[in-house]
Amino acid sequence: MKVGFEIHIQINSKRKLFCNCNPKSDESSQIEFRRRLRVSTSELGEIDPAAAFEIKKGLDIIYVSGDKTSCLVEADEEPPHEPDPYSVEVAIKISNMLNSFIVDEIHFMRKIVVDGSNTSGFQRTAIIGLNGSYTFRGKNVRIQTICLEEDAARLLEKGEGYVKYELKRLGIPLLEITTEPLEISPEEAKAFAESLGRTLKLTGLFARGLGTIRQDINVSVEGGCVVEVKGVQKLEQIQKVIEFEEKRQKMLLEIAAKLKERGISEENFVSIEPVEVSDVFKNHLNIPSVKKFFKDYAFALKAPGLKGLFSYETVPDSRLGLDLADICRLFGFKGIIHSDEISKYDFGQDILKELEDKLGISKNDGFVIVFGDKEKAVLCLQMVKERLKMALKGPVAETRYATEKGTTRYLRPRPGASRMYPETDIPTIKITQEMKDKYRIEIKSWEKAVEEFSSRHSINKEMAEQILDSEFVDFFENVVENYKNVPTTLLASLIVQILIPYQNSGKVIEYDEFLNLLAEFSKGNISKEAVMDVARYMLEKGVNLESALKEMNIKKLSVEELRKIIKEKIDEALQENVEPSKLYGTVMGRVMSLVRGKIEGKIVNEEVKKALENLNKA
Amino acid sequence: MEKLQEFSRIKFRINDVVYEGIVMPRTLYEDEDHFTIKLNNGYNIGVEKGKIEILEVEPPKVSSEQPYEKSFESTGPKILILGTGGTISSKVDYRTGAVKPAFTASQIVDMVPELKNLASISVKTIMNELSENMQPLNWTLMAREVYNAFKEGYEGIVIAHGTDTMHYSASALSFAIENPAGPVVFVGSQRSSDRPSSDAATNLLGAVIFAAKSNSPGVYVAMHASINDDLIAIHKGVKVRKNHTSRRDAFKSINAKPFAYVDVKKLEIKFSEKKTEAKGPMNLYEKFSERAALLKFYPGISDKLLSSFFNKEFFDAVIVEGTGLGHVSRKAFPYIKDYIEKGGFVGMTSQCIWGSVRLTVYETGRDLLSMGVVSLEDMLSEVALVKSMWAIGNGLDLKAIMPKNLRGEINERREVL
Repeated sequence: MKVGFEIHIQINSKRKLFCNCNPKSDESSQIEFRRRLRVSTSELGEIDPAAAFEIKKGLDIIYVSGDKTSCLVEADEEPPHEPDPYSVEVAIKISNMLNSFIVDEIHFMRKIVVDGSNTSGFQRTAIIGLNGSYTFRGKNVRIQTICLEEDAARLLEKGEGYVKYELKRLGIPLLEITTEPLEISPEEAKAFAESLGRTLKLTGLFARGLGTIRQDINVSVEGGCVVEVKGVQKLEQIQKVIEFEEKRQKMLLEIAAKLKERGISEENFVSIEPVEVSDVFKNHLNIPSVKKFFKDYAFALKAPGLKGLFSYETVPDSRLGLDLADICRLFGFKGIIHSDEISKYDFGQDILKELEDKLGISKNDGFVIVFGDKEKAVLCLQMVKERLKMALKGPVAETRYATEKGTTRYLRPRPGASRMYPETDIPTIKITQEMKDKYRIEIKSWEKAVEEFSSRHSINKEMAEQILDSEFVDFFENVVENYKNVPTTLLASLIVQILIPYQNSGKVIEYDEFLNLLAEFSKGNISKEAVMDVARYMLEKGVNLESALKEMNIKKLSVEELRKIIKEKIDEALQENVEPSKLYGTVMGRVMSLVRGKIEGKIVNEEVKKALENLNKA
Repeated sequence: MEKLQEFSRIKFRINDVVYEGIVMPRTLYEDEDHFTIKLNNGYNIGVEKGKIEILEVEPPKVSSEQPYEKSFESTGPKILILGTGGTISSKVDYRTGAVKPAFTASQIVDMVPELKNLASISVKTIMNELSENMQPLNWTLMAREVYNAFKEGYEGIVIAHGTDTMHYSASALSFAIENPAGPVVFVGSQRSSDRPSSDAATNLLGAVIFAAKSNSPGVYVAMHASINDDLIAIHKGVKVRKNHTSRRDAFKSINAKPFAYVDVKKLEIKFSEKKTEAKGPMNLYEKFSERAALLKFYPGISDKLLSSFFNKEFFDAVIVEGTGLGHVSRKAFPYIKDYIEKGGFVGMTSQCIWGSVRLTVYETGRDLLSMGVVSLEDMLSEVALVKSMWAIGNGLDLKAIMPKNLRGEINERREVL
């Protein structure tokens, strides 16, 4: 098995690659506008038929533009500005760090993208470094290219006939680092991504936070072809995704072998076309499930030799039937019904018989049905046919996306050679020898960085590593700098024990709320013990700091108030004739149960002792 | 270093790695010391000639240029699309990345498939000029082509044009063709047609729909009404101006509503003004003279400039873009007075762009009037310039014709918009 990586990482520049917007600015207003993208048929080439279909039909693309986070450039209403010099510098530094050959001139290209994620219909991208290397576990891994490119707009929603994107992310500078295909195990792949990711993060040249580093993984098994898996955001997914892909692709090879056994070849597909089967269902509208599914049209496709293979599954969620359903979803269908599952739908034997007759089904054949729009159904089933033909060979070169649980789902056919042409709005940029010499950085060792962080902040190495790996490094440094009386151990515990696990469960952390929490502590308004409790409470109940403090009735006790309580409790104990030897323990226990979290235990201890001493003196 | 023929396919080595690619042409602004190479992955890179070792060279294949087609078989009104150059009529060659003029009927229909059932379209490329290079001679050529096409029986003409001076050309044709037999619609694009987001296709669609279906003879400009890809505004050729350097809705009707809008989704026209009709036989007055000038007045304007503009030896007419209601500093008075006395024509427009000149409000205006300066009302300065070039070219009396509304260039009333 071979695994290749394309790592995309956002550069921490203050501006976008081709304009002077700062995506972190506060927006005071937003506007929406509508566009359409067009590509002439000859240029569509290998763009997937579903996208081509949508474009031909006139898919409306709605863009949401914030006044401070995007401008006329992102709206494709103004030519790009000169490329961000800082980003060029970072690209050169990383190319140097990864021992690449740095080009002498940067030629920005336009890579055609028609899903609407770029207002222009293309992504601007340029090669900075070629043929680099990175040492991983003593081996040299070849870095094929290092590209400087712009990030795409973020998808907000997809609806009937439209897609909606937000322009904030569009144009953020990204580095794309592409490795050669590596002969490695899933475990090694994860370790490799972690290692390179850490090395990049340690340069301090990249943005931190969820979505700032994304990897596409190319997986191919022997005898198969390259499958590209997009959108792997977490390291934990990598290993699972690769393991899943290996099994899934092997399963497709098995299916291919079975089809061969059954004597199926491309010839069996020659005369196969989508067939309208509306009549079959129209005549049975009395059957409840027919009434539920059948609207205007029903179309079916004979699938020679595929009986039983749609549902064939060697690893959960890897069925061929699922891929076919995903293809149909691109055309707006809810899904498909295939012959292996048709019994689930209770259409009855008559329908099954009629379908089989109409399609000319024999022993090993299966079929696929879709309900809905005539034009779409035909196009969609033609695509299904093409997919089934490819099943004869095994895995298909396609683009898939990674799910949270580490499986992959069909996204689109893998584009062939990218449609690229020069970005004529941006003049060539020279990279002089002087720049190449000046913009140099060395690889920092992760172990050293952890050690340094741990000793600088007096926290243990395990915690230091976890924090350095997380998005909370900036938060940590921020607190250390601004609230000098917050113990680093408290801060580290808060991050490692509460914030990181919470975030790993997929939830969003409001940094400012926790900054405020520590500010309250720093001002002496809440105790050390209460910090952790309040944090937990905030996250569990989903409330802000103010509500948490109110609801938990946490307000720091003054020493005066504490003395009053201690006096009450001593009087109480004396009245109960508590033995003098047990007096301290009893009073301390009773006081603590009332004041825990409101004042530090150390102070309670001192005050109780003091009060008892005074009592003895008296 | 050896010189490699452009578009040669080469195998070369950088350090220890062998790559393949195509040698790309260098632009005028790029030096000779580097190669631009298109790698197999589609990317171009620039490398110093000395840094690569060329292993193999395969000379370029001769590309077979397809001849331009004359027409596209379809039913509907006979529409002629004239190509004159500019971003709207060029195309990228994906193999080489070069931008080439490409303007065939099938390419246009391929780009705008909606056109297929709308009109019977013919395409003719009559020149290939960026609009900043357009000269009065180009206007004459365009006017002649349009006139002849109507005579040949075309029902509407669409002229694909660069945007920078499109409003000058639209103005020129408005004057050159009296009573055109049908609509003449100028169309351009602000985003080049080689990008999927180009406004070229929708603008062209709007222009063809209007040319084919509006039954409104006249000269117009069809461009985006807003930054949305839904409505194309149809502006009158003598009331329109490019008002933004880059936005797709750069063209705006000044002192008027757009004449109509075309909804390119529903393929419908919505008129905001009464449809026009031909008032007489079509006539062609195709000449333009360069003996007219446009002077923008500004504080500190030099005597040298004034004396070279208001010079009867050079110019028969000077259109002044005055300040506000139509004023210039008294410093300019002697020059203007002298020029008019020698038989020169001075027409006043306003650099405010919106609104009308009114020379009776302030003393300066009255002084100018008494010298013989002619108020051109709400005529746009660019239109006034073109009109005077046309009037001189065709031997018309400037004093009589300039303040007269011939093609809708002067509005008698300005609506509250």
